[in-house]
Amino acid sequence: MSERIVITGLGLVTPVGVGREEAWRALLAGCCGIREVESFDATGFTSRLGAEVRGFEPAGLLARIDPAGVGRASQFAAVAARLALTDAGLPTVADPERAGVAMGTTSGEPREIEDFDDRWLAADYEGVRGEFVNRYRCASIPEVVASEAGFRGLNIMIPTACAAGNYAIAYAFDALRAGRADVMLAGGADCFSRITYSGFSRLGAIAAERCQPFDRNRQGMVPGEGAGVLTLETWEHAAARGARVYAEIAGYGLSCDAHHMTAADGDGAARAMIQALRDSGHRPEEVSYVSAHGTGTPTNDRLECAAVGRVFGEGAATLPMSSIKSMIGHTMGAASAIEAAVCALAIHEGRVPPTINFSEPDPECPVDCVANECREMPVAVAMSNAYAFGGNNASLMLRAWEAA
Amino acid sequence: MRSDARRVVVTGAGIACAAGDRMGELWAAARDGRSPGVRRPELALDGMPGPLAAFHDRLDVRAELGREGLRALDRTGRLAAVAARRALADAGWPAAALAGTEVGLVLGTMFGSLRTICEFDRRGVSAGPSYAKPLDFVNSVINAAAGQTAIRFDLRGVNATVSGDLTSGLQALAYAADLVRGGRATALLAGGADELCAESLYGFHRLGLLCGAGSERAVPLGRPAEGMVLAEGAALLMLESLASARARGATILAEILGHGSAYDPGRGAGAHHLAAAVAGAVRSALQDADRPAGAIDCVSLAANGTHLDAAETAGVGRGLSRPGPVPALAAKAATGETLGAAGALQTLFAIESLRNRRLPGIPGLDPGAAPALAAGGGTSTLEGSTALVTAVGLQGKAAALVAEVAPQTTDHDRRA
Amino acid sequence: MHMDIGGITLKIKQIIADVADLDVEEIADDATFLDDLELDSLALLEIGVDVDYEFKLGVSEDRLSKLRSIPETVGLVTEILSQKAVA
Repeated sequence: MSERIVITGLGLVTPVGVGREEAWRALLAGCCGIREVESFDATGFTSRLGAEVRGFEPAGLLARIDPAGVGRASQFAAVAARLALTDAGLPTVADPERAGVAMGTTSGEPREIEDFDDRWLAADYEGVRGEFVNRYRCASIPEVVASEAGFRGLNIMIPTACAAGNYAIAYAFDALRAGRADVMLAGGADCFSRITYSGFSRLGAIAAERCQPFDRNRQGMVPGEGAGVLTLETWEHAAARGARVYAEIAGYGLSCDAHHMTAADGDGAARAMIQALRDSGHRPEEVSYVSAHGTGTPTNDRLECAAVGRVFGEGAATLPMSSIKSMIGHTMGAASAIEAAVCALAIHEGRVPPTINFSEPDPECPVDCVANECREMPVAVAMSNAYAFGGNNASLMLRAWEAA
Repeated sequence: MRSDARRVVVTGAGIACAAGDRMGELWAAARDGRSPGVRRPELALDGMPGPLAAFHDRLDVRAELGREGLRALDRTGRLAAVAARRALADAGWPAAALAGTEVGLVLGTMFGSLRTICEFDRRGVSAGPSYAKPLDFVNSVINAAAGQTAIRFDLRGVNATVSGDLTSGLQALAYAADLVRGGRATALLAGGADELCAESLYGFHRLGLLCGAGSERAVPLGRPAEGMVLAEGAALLMLESLASARARGATILAEILGHGSAYDPGRGAGAHHLAAAVAGAVRSALQDADRPAGAIDCVSLAANGTHLDAAETAGVGRGLSRPGPVPALAAKAATGETLGAAGALQTLFAIESLRNRRLPGIPGLDPGAAPALAAGGGTSTLEGSTALVTAVGLQGKAAALVAEVAPQTTDHDRRA
Repeated sequence: MHMDIGGITLKIKQIIADVADLDVEEIADDATFLDDLELDSLALLEIGVDVDYEFKLGVSEDRLSKLRSIPETVGLVTEILSQKAVA
């Protein structure tokens, strides 16, 4: 049994770049990946903004699987996983039965459903391929990742919507500590779809002009797509091969509002943060940076700031807390996985990405949102928050690695 | 030896499935070779022969859950909520006691709310995006049923959804058990739910996995494999720490000793590799449970009548690797393939059989084809206390769990 | 679509009954959404979508979201339907 779990590889597929270096450089520079939607006809929608991964060509980025045989979210996940393994210097593992995969998602493979529905509406039942079930199942995402990686151990999909990435990383953390695996690929993936887009549009949640979390004039969120996968290892496994360590997973907290499917109550968010702090053994004042859920909707940001205020007290006002969703939109099940990777990089490099599009402070969001410019600062301990439909809350703690 | 706070016990169960709402009913149906609730639905899909499917037509959701808030729940959510209500009651966990303890929920589901997602999409496409229905979108996320159930019963502990194909239910039990073992939860409802809808039926039909026109019921382990009967249902177990169960004087049905899983990177394309994954899952479950293969008194199979059965039985044989056949059960002969609910149902089936000290029998079992298994008949006796529960996915997943029936409940007289 | 006020009111009440898990008989013709029926914002949104769809109004979301009661909803539906009849 190993007590300490380290992050040794990062794989990112985002609207501002594919690969750790490209995505991180863009996020620090405040690049915005939000444009008019291209992947489907957005005529008839009140907003047309989306954060899509454009020009994605998975074929050259994969070693084992054929991307044509799987859905787009699985393609994102497999590419992010391959990148995370390459980044970790771990092209193959010695014992594949002790190597596992944990992934999260909001919608799985919604484009497979759209294809099914188009045929259904056209009464083209014969045109429905037998693989519909296999391709649509969200369970396919970790399966495709494990097939790409050649991993034979744990294989789990935890589809807890927009908190799913954190759930998957938390699951992997526990599995490694319990001795169920030596290496885990963990993260989340979601693809852009008319289903998700029309849902958020119907709820009136999508911003018309820009995503500007914590700004007084914020109008809403912007749906996005992508994947984030982290290579996690027990310290013993990483040390034995002389791996570079970005950061250590320090703990997590999960809670459920049990209040309303879409309207958070803030209490559950605070409980998840408090549990995460307790699990990590850190006091609130030791936290250097918070990666906010920060969707940019009026309600989310207000409630999240209030919950942070309850947990961090007077320190909340000066605690750097940014939302990269201002740049890459809300990548759904991938969001907290990408954000965990960002926290690991912030710790490793001593720089935190900004919240862009910020101009007017909101008295209901009294936080330091690292407005518009990235900041150089030492990050010893980071907290990453994620909240989801269904009242699922997950806070993850990461800290700088120091071998004992 | 684990401390009482880290030992995981089953203290109640809630079932809502086509074949019955109580384990005794399901077990008797299996013994008598019946498959309650099976019929041929009329589907408005051209070219599709009416497949066998098991619907829970008798379920009176309104009587069970009350009227308030029902519109917010789709079929998957309703099945999950009914099973949760029954499991809480069966575990003797009254609502008043919930206030002070954060009970969690880990729900396994293969499809979540597939029908709702499809209907939401089709309405938006055919009528225009402004007519897409908001309440349906809320249920389009795969964790909707778990979230809705938590709201209804104020379950504020860890709330997670697990989607592991045909291993969803066992994965959910394993995840929940680890949360208790790791000290992250005291009590959770764990198991799964899936609805039955034209979309999933048609998908499985196109995959060629459903029972053909000549079948009246699914025949697990039958040769040749004729296919499965898709069924709707939900089943949840109350899992809690032994310390918690003792403190509140709960009846302990069984202990979850351990679990294991494995994956075939070939995505199940070769039966031999899939069997190897099953064997790997069985071995890691035994190791986790700290029990030798010889301690397994029966195995509760996921066998559903498809080609997966052969890989499962071969894998169980290799994983146990011991002389002589092991007594076997196949819950899906009676229940059909309940997808997410199957893991909890199979576990309960094993518990029931060990308590009854009887095997219900598997009509399709050919001892020549599966020498590692012994099905027995409705009257053959079953001794012992420890069960292995297994599951196999369509695309390479395998899972196994070891449960031991609590000593005081193996007494058949107590049950009567 | 030709429908008198009684028919429109009944249809609207059926929509509300479906969303709010009520029987039509329990809903008064002059019921208010918040005080009488205790509907939350999601339910109100759903009712707005269903009313718009049922009567083929094609009305802006702004107008639908301002409705506070069954009489106001009936008023909006009648107004739009009569405009359509003239046009």
